[in-house]
Amino acid sequence: MIISDHHHDHDPGHPKTGDESMPGYYEIMETAVRELLVEKKLIGPGEIRRQIEVLDSRTPALGAKVVARAWVDPEFKARLLANGRAACEEFGISFYDDTQLIALENTDQVHNLIVCTLCSCYPRPVLGLPPDWYKAKPYRARAVKEPRVVLAEFGTDIPENVEIRVSDSTAMVRYLVLPQRPAGTDNFTEEQLAALVTRDAMIGVIKVNLDNRHTP
Amino acid sequence: MNPTENLVKRLPTDMGGLPAGRVQQTEHELLPWEKRCHALADVLDYHKIINTEEKRRGVEQLGGDMVGALTYYERWIVAFALILFQKALLTPGELAKKMDEVGARHAR
Repeated sequence: MIISDHHHDHDPGHPKTGDESMPGYYEIMETAVRELLVEKKLIGPGEIRRQIEVLDSRTPALGAKVVARAWVDPEFKARLLANGRAACEEFGISFYDDTQLIALENTDQVHNLIVCTLCSCYPRPVLGLPPDWYKAKPYRARAVKEPRVVLAEFGTDIPENVEIRVSDSTAMVRYLVLPQRPAGTDNFTEEQLAALVTRDAMIGVIKVNLDNRHTP
Repeated sequence: MNPTENLVKRLPTDMGGLPAGRVQQTEHELLPWEKRCHALADVLDYHKIINTEEKRRGVEQLGGDMVGALTYYERWIVAFALILFQKALLTPGELAKKMDEVGARHAR
């Protein structure tokens, strides 16, 4: 099911008219705006397609590689924490927007969580597009008010003696959580470590643990 | 407290700290037009036609009813159209005409 971030409990999904060949009102508007902008030479004819390719190239696997590198290379980690964008760019990840990136390190004392209460700002160059729940009201409304309860809904229990820091993203400043490297991974290669790091761990709603492992 | 005070203090998209239900861990693959809409936002930003903050504010200015009733990318495309009108880069008449033309292509 698809949800959206508003107050009413209805399914805003994508109404099927029965005639699949007929685009809906908003799709027609999208096509019309795009074509008018091209006709007026405000944007180039191939730019939307090229940007879709850029969007498709961004997945949480990029962020996972950054995290794994930070775990194995203390100097890279220091640079990442000093300037997230510069470190990612050095690592070969281009930023296609004007955003800054701040990497937030989880420790035994601090657990970080990211949110965008006003809209859906997200570290897209390194993680791709956000999941629907990140854009929806329950997460945006509650993450800043009762983060421990929200984390519990993701199955994450943070001990009372660990501080939870919630960072609220903006149009210009985005965050990436640098999760803690799990115990028992001393012999892992960088690639094996990256395979443990999930999108949700880099948002901060879960920890990285050996059960997260997916096939690289 | 004035009964309308809250309307001033909290715009419809400003939901941090409000009570809300459980997080439903939903995902969906973007529809092709939604992805094009997202790409359009990025391209408009590159060309400094509409930046991210203008887009966010544009959605906010749709008002509570529209923010509540439209889906995520529906809000975006409507906000883009309105911002482009405000900037005099498009006119409502041009958009209406083009939408009729696009609709007619599919109606055949």
